[in-house]
This record gives sequence, C-alpha cells and structure tokens, in this order.
Amino acid sequence: MTYKTDEIWEDKWVNTTCGVCYCGCAAKVRVVNGVPVKVEGINDSTMGGTGAGLCGKGSAGLMYYHDPNRIKKPLLRTNPEKGIGVDPKWKEIEWDEALDIISTKMKKIMEDDPNKILFTNQTMRASDGPHNHPYFYAQAFGVKNNGNFIIGGGSLHCGNACHMLGGLIHGAWSIAPDWRYTKYVLKWGSSKGTGSGHSAMTNARLRADAVRRGIKEVVFDPMGNFAGGKATEWVGILPGTDTAVGLAIANYICNIRGEMDILYLKAKTNFPYLIKDDGTYIRNKETDNPVIFDSREGKVKDYNDETLAWEDCALEGEYEYDGEKVTPCFVPFKEHLKQYTIEWASEVSTVPVGTILQVCKDWVDNAQIGSTITLEGKTYPYRPVSSVTFRGSQGHSNGIHQVAAIDLMSQLVGAEDVPGGTLGWPAIRRAYPGGNYEQTCTAGKDGVIVPSVFYSHDPWPVHAPSLPATNMGCVDIWTHCTLSHIPYVDEIDYIHEKFGMKSKPEMIFGISANFVISNSDWDTAVKNFKDCFVVQMGLWVNETDQAIGDLILPDVSYLEKDCWSSEIDAFFFSGSPSHEDWYVHMQQPVAKPIGESRFFMDVYIDVANRCGVLDKFNAKLNDYYGVEDPELQIKPGEVLTWKEIGERFLKWVYGKDTDKIQKQGYATWHKPIEDVYWRWDIDTRCPVYMEYLLHDRRGMEGIFEQTGFDAEGLEFDFNQFTPLPSWFWPESHKDLDDEFDLLAFSYRDILHTNNTTFQNPYIDEISKMCPYTFTITLNTTMAEERDLKDGDIIWIETKAGVKENGIVKTMEAQSPKVIGIAGQGGLWADGRPIAKGKGANFCKLLPSKLKYFDPVAGNMETAVAVKIYKD
Amino acid sequence: MSKDNHELIQTMFPPDGSGVKPYEWMINPTRQRQWIDKQGIFLWLAFFFTEIGAGLYFVSMFYEYKAGLVLGWLIALFLGGLIHVAYLGNPLRAWRMIMRPNTSELSRGIWVIGAFAALGFLQMVTSGGFNIVFNVIMAILCLIIISHGFTTMNVIRALPAWSSNMVLPFSIVSGVWVGQQILQLMFAITGSADLVSGMEVWAEIFFFAYFLCLVLYGWGTWHANEIGQASIKMMVNDELKIITLIGVLGLAIVLPLIFTLIMWGGQTNGFVIFLRLASIFAGDLAVRYIIMKSAVYKPLLERN
Amino acid sequence: MPRWGMVIDVKRCIACWGCTIACKEEHFLPPGVFWNRVLIGERGKYPSSSKLIYPILCNHCSDAACVEACPTGATYVREDGIVAIDDEKCVGCRACLVSCPYQQRTYYDKEVKDREYFPGQGKTEMELIGEKLYPFTLGTVIKCNFCTERLEDGMKKGQTPGVDEDATPACVNMCPVDARVFGDLDDPNSKINRMIMEHKGKQLRPEFGTEPAVYYID
Repeated sequence: MTYKTDEIWEDKWVNTTCGVCYCGCAAKVRVVNGVPVKVEGINDSTMGGTGAGLCGKGSAGLMYYHDPNRIKKPLLRTNPEKGIGVDPKWKEIEWDEALDIISTKMKKIMEDDPNKILFTNQTMRASDGPHNHPYFYAQAFGVKNNGNFIIGGGSLHCGNACHMLGGLIHGAWSIAPDWRYTKYVLKWGSSKGTGSGHSAMTNARLRADAVRRGIKEVVFDPMGNFAGGKATEWVGILPGTDTAVGLAIANYICNIRGEMDILYLKAKTNFPYLIKDDGTYIRNKETDNPVIFDSREGKVKDYNDETLAWEDCALEGEYEYDGEKVTPCFVPFKEHLKQYTIEWASEVSTVPVGTILQVCKDWVDNAQIGSTITLEGKTYPYRPVSSVTFRGSQGHSNGIHQVAAIDLMSQLVGAEDVPGGTLGWPAIRRAYPGGNYEQTCTAGKDGVIVPSVFYSHDPWPVHAPSLPATNMGCVDIWTHCTLSHIPYVDEIDYIHEKFGMKSKPEMIFGISANFVISNSDWDTAVKNFKDCFVVQMGLWVNETDQAIGDLILPDVSYLEKDCWSSEIDAFFFSGSPSHEDWYVHMQQPVAKPIGESRFFMDVYIDVANRCGVLDKFNAKLNDYYGVEDPELQIKPGEVLTWKEIGERFLKWVYGKDTDKIQKQGYATWHKPIEDVYWRWDIDTRCPVYMEYLLHDRRGMEGIFEQTGFDAEGLEFDFNQFTPLPSWFWPESHKDLDDEFDLLAFSYRDILHTNNTTFQNPYIDEISKMCPYTFTITLNTTMAEERDLKDGDIIWIETKAGVKENGIVKTMEAQSPKVIGIAGQGGLWADGRPIAKGKGANFCKLLPSKLKYFDPVAGNMETAVAVKIYKD
Repeated sequence: MSKDNHELIQTMFPPDGSGVKPYEWMINPTRQRQWIDKQGIFLWLAFFFTEIGAGLYFVSMFYEYKAGLVLGWLIALFLGGLIHVAYLGNPLRAWRMIMRPNTSELSRGIWVIGAFAALGFLQMVTSGGFNIVFNVIMAILCLIIISHGFTTMNVIRALPAWSSNMVLPFSIVSGVWVGQQILQLMFAITGSADLVSGMEVWAEIFFFAYFLCLVLYGWGTWHANEIGQASIKMMVNDELKIITLIGVLGLAIVLPLIFTLIMWGGQTNGFVIFLRLASIFAGDLAVRYIIMKSAVYKPLLERN
Repeated sequence: MPRWGMVIDVKRCIACWGCTIACKEEHFLPPGVFWNRVLIGERGKYPSSSKLIYPILCNHCSDAACVEACPTGATYVREDGIVAIDDEKCVGCRACLVSCPYQQRTYYDKEVKDREYFPGQGKTEMELIGEKLYPFTLGTVIKCNFCTERLEDGMKKGQTPGVDEDATPACVNMCPVDARVFGDLDDPNSKINRMIMEHKGKQLRPEFGTEPAVYYID
C-alpha cells in the first residue's frame, strides 16, 4: 500500500467539541484540502475518553458534514394540508424571505400574546451549541416560563424526575458514581459509565479504571445489554418496579440491619424536621423556618439555628410544639418503610429474594459507615457505595418515587457527594484563573439547595399551583415539570379549557426537534401541533418537519460551527464530573457551512432584531454571563453576530488567557477537591421527606375542584403526592392482561443519540453489525414458546391499537416478560434516506392519555403493555 | 412473501448473498464466500474443468487414445486454466503465482499444471508418446491435477468442512469418473461399439466408487466436528436444499444409477451414455457447488 | 527489532465501536469494509447469561495462514511482526482470504471501490480525498496493517509506538476506555507483556495454531 501525499496542499488538525450527543467531548478534526476527513479526541484534554479517545458515534460525526441530504436553502411548505404521509411540497426560498415570514408572524403574535409562541430545544444541542440560550431567548419575546417549551431529542422520556431530584439533592442535572473511590455501584436503568448519560466518555473512562481496580457493579435492568452486559452482575427486573427493590433495601438498612449514617441523617437531610399530624412541617411563626428538636437542650429550634449542633438534631421521639403533637419526619418515614419487605419486592419486581438480600448486605457492608478518607489533606466521610439511576427507571408514571427510592439508600448511609458515593455534576463552577464566570449554589428555603444554573425550570423553590394556565404546558398547575408533558397529552383541549388557557399556540420556533415521533403516540402529536406555524432549524427535513413543518431553515452542523460558548454554562450538565480538572471546550469551524446554512444562534439574533427584541436578548446575555465590564457588555442598539459576542464575552470569562484558549479551542484548570465533595461544606439539607408534595397536592386539588376538572375520570393519581417514597404500580403494568401480556420498553443504544444518528452511514452500517440495535429483542425461551425465532417479522400492538413492526432477535439476557426496542428507529422522512426504515419506533406505542404521565414530574410512562404476533 | 424478501429485512440487512445477517458474522458458523460467490463462481468452474480435463487425459492414456488426450489437455488448460486466470484480480500477474511452491498449494498447482502442459504436449506430438515412462509421469501429474482443487481446499484449516479425509479420494474418483464418461461418449460417437461396451464395466465401478466416496464424504464431514455438521445442515436446508435434492441426489446419483442399470452388463447405448454424461456433468458440478457453498468458518466467540 | 502486538482489555471495552470507525477514517475504507470490528454475542442461559464483546482485527500472526496460502509472496510477515501485503505482487487469488480463520481480509475490486456511503448520491468529498490520500490497488486484497504508516512516520520522528499518539495505531488512540494497548511483544518489560502476564492474556482461537500477536484479557 502506498501512502500518497501528492496533490495534498493542506493537512491539518482543528480542535473543537464533538456534537453528536449532548456530552460534548473534546474533539479534533483532520482537515485535508479543506475537507474534514477524520475525528479524534484530544490527547491533552481530560474531557472525554482516555487520551485521544472518542466513542464510535463521535468519530462518525464526520458524516454530518458530508451528508448530501443536508438542506441547503430555506424550504417553505406549499401544501396547506398537514399530516404523516402528506407531501409538504417544499419550495426553496431565499433567507431574507424566510426571516421576513418568521418575524412578521412573530410580531403579530407578540402584539396579542407572546405565550402563543412555542420554542423547542433538544438535547442534541447541549454540546452542539449554546444550550441554555433558547430558554432566555424565549423570555426576550415575553414568554413567561418553561411551559412554552416542547422537547425533541431524548424527549419527555428523559429526565423530568431525575433532573428534579438531581437539582433538589445535588444541585445538578444528573448524577454518577464517584468512580475513582467507589467500591460498590448499583445502576438502575442507567448506563452511566457504559456509554450513555452525561459526560458519557469521561464516565466511561473513569468506570473502566474502576472496573480494572475491581469494583463490583450490579445493574438492575430489564435487559443485560449495555450496562447489564458489562456489569459484575446483571439483575433482570421488570420496568418500573425499581422502587419496590429500592424501598426494600431502604427498609433493610433502616429497620432490619439498622445501620445508618446517623450524623448524616441529622445534619444533611430534612429527617429531623418536625411535622404535624397532617405531615406538613411545623414552622417557626416568625421566621417561617421548619424546626428541629435539639435533644441536648431539650427545645425546638429553627433548622438553621446557629446554636443547633448537628449531632443534637433529634431523629426520633414525639414532642409538643405549640400545643400540637409533633415528631421528626424520620419517625413516620421509618415506620412507612416497614411494609416494604424483601419478599414483597421480589414478587413485584421478579428479582429473586436472595439477590435482593445479597445486594442489601453488600450495600451496607461496602458503605463503611463511620470511615473517613483523607484527600489532598482534607478528611471526608468515606462511603464507597453509589446507587444511580437515569432515563430507564425514572421514565414511568411513578417516576418521582422511582428516583426517590433509588436515592434513599444512598441517603441512609450518607453516600451523597462524599468520596466513593454518588456525585452530582459539579454544583459549583469556579472561574478560570484570572477570568470571571463563576457560579455557586446557595441554600434556599427550608435549607434546600438552589442550583446556581439550571435548565428550563428551577427545581427550588417550588411555586404554588395557580390559575389560569398561561401556556401550553400548563406549568402553572404542574409545577415540577422540567419540561411539561401537557403538550403531548391527548386530553390537551379539555385541560386547556378547564384551566383557562388562553394562549393557544400559533407558532413553533424550533431547533431540529423531532417531537412528533420521539415522544408518544404520533397521531396525538400531529393533532396537538399541526395548527401551529412550525419553523424549524435543522440539518435535514426530519419526520416532524415533513408531517407538520411549514418553514425549515438550514442549520450548520457542529463541524461548521463557530460556537465559543459551547460548554461554559454546561458545567452542571456535561462539565467535568467527579474529581476531574475543569474543562471547557469550544466549537471551532473545521469547514465552511454547507450551502446557505447558518448557525442557529445567528438566526436567533437576526429574528430577534427583526422583531425588535434584540436589546432584551442581549441584556439577558450580559446578565447570564455576568459581564460587568461595560467595554465587554453588549450595548443597546448593537447588532453583533454570535462570534462577535464571543470575542467580548470570552475576554470576560478567561481574562488575559483568552487568546491562548481561543487558539487552543479549550481550557482546563484545576478543580479544588472541596468543589467535588461539597456535601459537608455547604449548609444544605436534602429534602428526602418530600414535604412540598403535600402543598402541591392541596394546591392542585383546590384548582381541580374550583375548575370542575374531572381528575377521577382522567385517572389522575393524587396519591403520588406523598412525602414518603412509596410504591405505585406504573400504568403500563395495570394494562397487562392475558392478551396484552408483555411490557415493551426502550433503551439507549451506545451508537445512537435520539434519531439523528440513524442518518449517519457509518453508524448505520455498524448498527447492522449489532445484534440488537435495529431489531426487537425477545428472551430466547419466551420466543421459542411463542414459536418466534431470529429474523421473524413481528407486529407489536398496544391496547390503543397502535402497531409497529420489526425483526426479532432473541437474547438470553432479557426478562421473559418484556420486549426491548433501541432508540428512536422506524423513521420515514424522505429527507433522511439512510435513516429511513431502520429499526423500529418505540415512541409511537406509548399512549398519550394523561394517566400515563407521572402526576408530579410529568414523566411519560415509557413502558407499554403490548401483544406481539407474526407478520 | 418469503422471509428474506420482506421489505424490512431488505432495508435493514440488504442481501449480500452471504445468507448471514451482519451481526451473525463469525458469531454463528459463517459461510465462505470468496471461492463461490460473485467471481468466485469462476473458481468452481475452473476446478471442475481442470479436473475433468485431467481425468479425461488420464483415462485416455489407458486406451492410448490421442483425441481424448488432446481434448483432456485442452479442457484442463484452456477451460480450466483460463477460467482460473479470469478469476484472478490481476490476471497479468498470474506468473507470480509460481513464487511460493514450498508453502502455497496454489503455487504448487501452477507448477504441476505447467509440467502437465509441457509434458502432455510432448506426449501428444511424439509418435511414441505412450511409453511406460511418459504414461507413469503423466498419470501421476493427472492425479495431482485432478485432486488439486480439493487439495487446495483441504489444506485450509480455517474451513473444517473441507478437512475431511474423504476429500481426496472423492475428488480423484470424481475427476476420473467424469473423464471416463467423456471418453466413453467419444468412443460412442466415433463408433467403437466394443470399446464402449467394454468400458461399461469400468463405468459401473466408477459410479459406485463415486457414490461411495460421496456418502463417505458426507458421513466424514458430519462426524469430523460441529462445524462440519453445520456445513452438512446447510446443504440440506434453506436455499441449498433444492440443489442438493435435484443436483446431487437426482443428477449425480439417481439418474446415473438408472442409466447404468439400463446398460447393465454392457448393453450400451450411445444416447443413454450421452444422457448419463450430461447428468453426471451437471450432478458433479452440483456436488462441487454445495461443497464450496456450504463450507463455514468456525465462530470466533467461545460461547460454551 | 520489535515484534508489534496488541492487548485488548475486554473488561474495559464497552463496545462503542470507536476503533472500527477510527480505522475506517484513518484508511478511508469504503462501505462494508472493516479492518476492525466488534463481535457481540452471548454466553449462558437466562438469568445468568453474559454478554460477550470481542473487538477483532488482523491478528498479525507469526505463523499466519494467509502467508502460507499466498502463492506469490505478496503477503508476508515483516521483521517487526506485521503481516503486510505488497499490492504490487498480489494477483488477487484470495487464497489468503479464504485461509484466514479470523476472516480479516477484504478483496478490493471495482464493486467495492464504487460503493458510496450515500448510495446513489455520489461520493462525498471525503471519499474522493481518500482515493488520493490512501489509494488501494484494484484486484488485490487489503487488511489491517497495524497502521504501519503511523508507526514508521512516528519512529522516524523519534517517537515510540504505543506511547506517542502519532506513532500508534488509530484504533488504539481512539479507544475512549483504554481497552487497547499497543507495544513490543519481544520486550519482556513492555506494558503489553506485563499485562499479558498479569491478566493471563489469551489469543483468540489459538487452536488454529497461527500464533496471533493480539491478546485478550478480561
């Protein structure tokens, strides 16, 4: 083989940030004669995998630049009829005309009610552009809160309960084990460290080292594939039943073994808070603070009273306060757990009793309660056990309790944000030495952490449910939704009518979200959104665009993008987890934009300018980055491109090193150990006893009563508004019967991010080499019993009559009562020919009735009762 | 609609002729394709023609029948050899194949073919060509050539289905059997009725030897190892089933048996001889086809 | 003279396919051609079954079946242990391809050359650049070369394969979980030899007797 270099006039590497999933790993791109030809990681940056490591889909990202199916000019629908299977009859138009159409429409709507404009974001954008900006961009138009956001990407399947509790407990978007020091990890429907989740490759690297070190990793999952397939032990479990096992473990720790980190419970949770009979806190009438019984002084004090020592906070006992009988909330909590026996949990979850018992024992044994570790000269409690969850277990109608139960076992042994335990992504972001952007969390009302930055919806403090609903998502009523589920709910018209929602959406201004096919039942999504004027910016015409899009604008891919801000704000989301030095990477263009494609931030700015709200947006930007230097601030009347804004803001963020960092494309700096293990240094308490839910319930019940909302008819489950993590059957299980006898679930494949990756030919050909990626998995024995074998075409049908077909692949490592489908396949957009027809679509099977959503957090029930039969 | 033609299968796993889903490649026993699929089909024909050419040459020597020699020589070299060369990716470099006779079976084959070509030519043009020394040398060369294709396959450790001890006996008998039948037909056409009738005894012997070798080949392969079993299963299942039934069972065994029984005891008939030749010609091609098509590699993952 | 080899830590590997795609980009391999793959299978019965993940590539065997089968000497074992193909000598007989028990070779013909990543939509700029930068010879056999060019270029610059990025095979660099280690099998103190000793490294299917230079540990 000859290695010919004649005819090559340029061969260079450009540092940038990967944009194929939301993790944003360090990436460098080889550019030959102006053409990007290879993507690798960056050896000198710890962001992402080992050395120059990058995962398969990251390296395949190259194809986003080369895809001839990319749209190159704005496309306008000429066929007024919308729907799946209807040809939109696109017409290419000029940018100026497109922007004119958008701004004219927006201005008209704004005069009436800006809340009639919806915005989308999708998780792909996290690393693939400024992440948080769509939220305050919307605010510049006068949109009030997160109820106007509809989500593509990981869609509603992902995160609402996880992010809510991640925020309330860790001040962070997500959690991961402290791989460096942990010894025993439980994963529940999560693939952290095995290719998915936030900072996926950084975690994968840390996990690989931990596994080599000999940690034990037990994975509870319906299938032993990505996480389970790599675990020390895979435990097959029915979807949505993790709570049962979690509560049984908590009961074991609390009531059977009785070994807890008592000091932690006293100091770092709300367990000592005194409650009344009705379960709500007793509050100091003057300060409105919850109170604690000081067992040394024998009197009741504010939780934050300076004279109250941690060890003196009473966890047990019954007291009198203001003539009322009160107890620390730990008392009923502990009592409540007693009902959750291991035998019961085994029956619910199908996990054998012996397995649960072993996990219980291993958990407490490995927790090393009372032990300490000294790191960088500081001594910390050492709790080398970690229990983490993500999309899999939380994506159920009982999602909030799933996450709470899984977190509970860590709380009981004090393994939160201490070495070896469960860590949030950093709650604190230190400024670059000599620079300025610094974010620190604070202790808020009732001692609960208030994250420094959070996406879309702050988890704390919680606002009270109120009328009328002011946006499509009705977050005035559903106050805990990170992103609201209501836009996808079938009964949306009824809900809007009852809650007086006047801002009926007229327009969507979106970023390549594929929300029609990626949430639940497609028909409901089309019905709920088709009357809007849908503008989307994207690389291709996707399924949503084809079904309901009106105007599609060509966006640049991450390889053509000049985005200085990629991860400055994403520290709590995709920054350096654990005790990894800080890293922030920016996206530098490695090639010229394809066709007339334009970076969406510049389109944002252009549209804001045309609509007369640019100054407002710019002011929000100044504020968001905390730019105090008047020279660097964007001034009223200024119209700058995103790159020009970056030239100023980066000077604020990085100070004198700006040029060096811009040239290098990334910055790394030391993260002090106290910013990693902050639990005992920041005076906050975990609201393990979810008292706020009682108030939410009261508020919502009041509203329902006032409006005559038929909660019973819609099977809205108020019982889940309980402060005690409890067992509730997920809706999918309730639908099981002799005919619909299997639970379908979906999972994240390491090769895929939502559905954009289906259009990547590298990933496509590799997906075909994976047994499970494009197929429907069935347990081998179960398949044999049903006379099904590898390669058979089967139909999956739900009680609602929705059908999807796919190819059978049997696997041993899957519970016999479930069927598995990876990612968001089953695509049909003409604009993405590689993706077309690949895999099966799981999302469409999910029913869209209100009862299938977590009443608290708005998670979708992501398992569904189905029957299967041969084609 | 057959399973593999389903639109879903077509989209997700476009057929590449392997009959293997990409994710089953080397996980399940995986068929060899280079030497039978696509241009690999040339090799199947090349092996066949070289071997029956040499077979014809071999048998013709016993009858000192020059036309047979010439035809055998031509079939082996021009049909067999040229198809061989046509199969190569770079035919113009074919001469390089003489470079590694110490390790490469192919390379050795080229030397043998070269010797066969040169000495065979000499034998054909020399008047006293059928002397004992010439005959012995040519007979040995012929037998080596007849078995060359299967020897090449036999030495491939990676394909246990070809490793059976019965490969060589079978290949020699098959080459001689087809060659003998061509010769018998040539005699039938040229009108040497006694010769034709006299040859029938040999035809009976070769047919039964062929049948026996085939059965032993199948039996040996089945019992060699589980990979061999996978090959045999492949022969009788799915797409190969029809070829096995019609080609192997029908054309290579049952029809020739019937024709042989018709002519039992020397009651030869030119037309029946022609039919039998046509039948075994196609039958032997079918046998070789399924043997090449069903050879599978041992999966790389140890799953037990 | 070193003998280059690789250790693949199966315990670390998460089957992300980074190696496979890095290799495709490094060598501009057309669709359907893989010098690196990941085999995914299962062992055992539910509920105690386990997933098997084996990244595979050319084993650069010291007693290689392909070398034995090659009639022209085009395929040969270099002094540094790399099994190389001289495309000037290859006649395209594919005896090597059939002989390789690991099936790591691809016959590069017009059909393969003409394949497009976006079928029917023409070759991308990247594919066209690849044909200039890394051309293959029609009618010959191609396979993993342990990134010989990287090794040689790197060593010319005084770098060490397996240590310095530029002198190390692309798949090793790309692995995000450090599951691949490259080094000298003849150096008893090399990292890969230590890993093979410590974790009892095994070759894949040693029964074929080809003496692979790629070891697996788990």
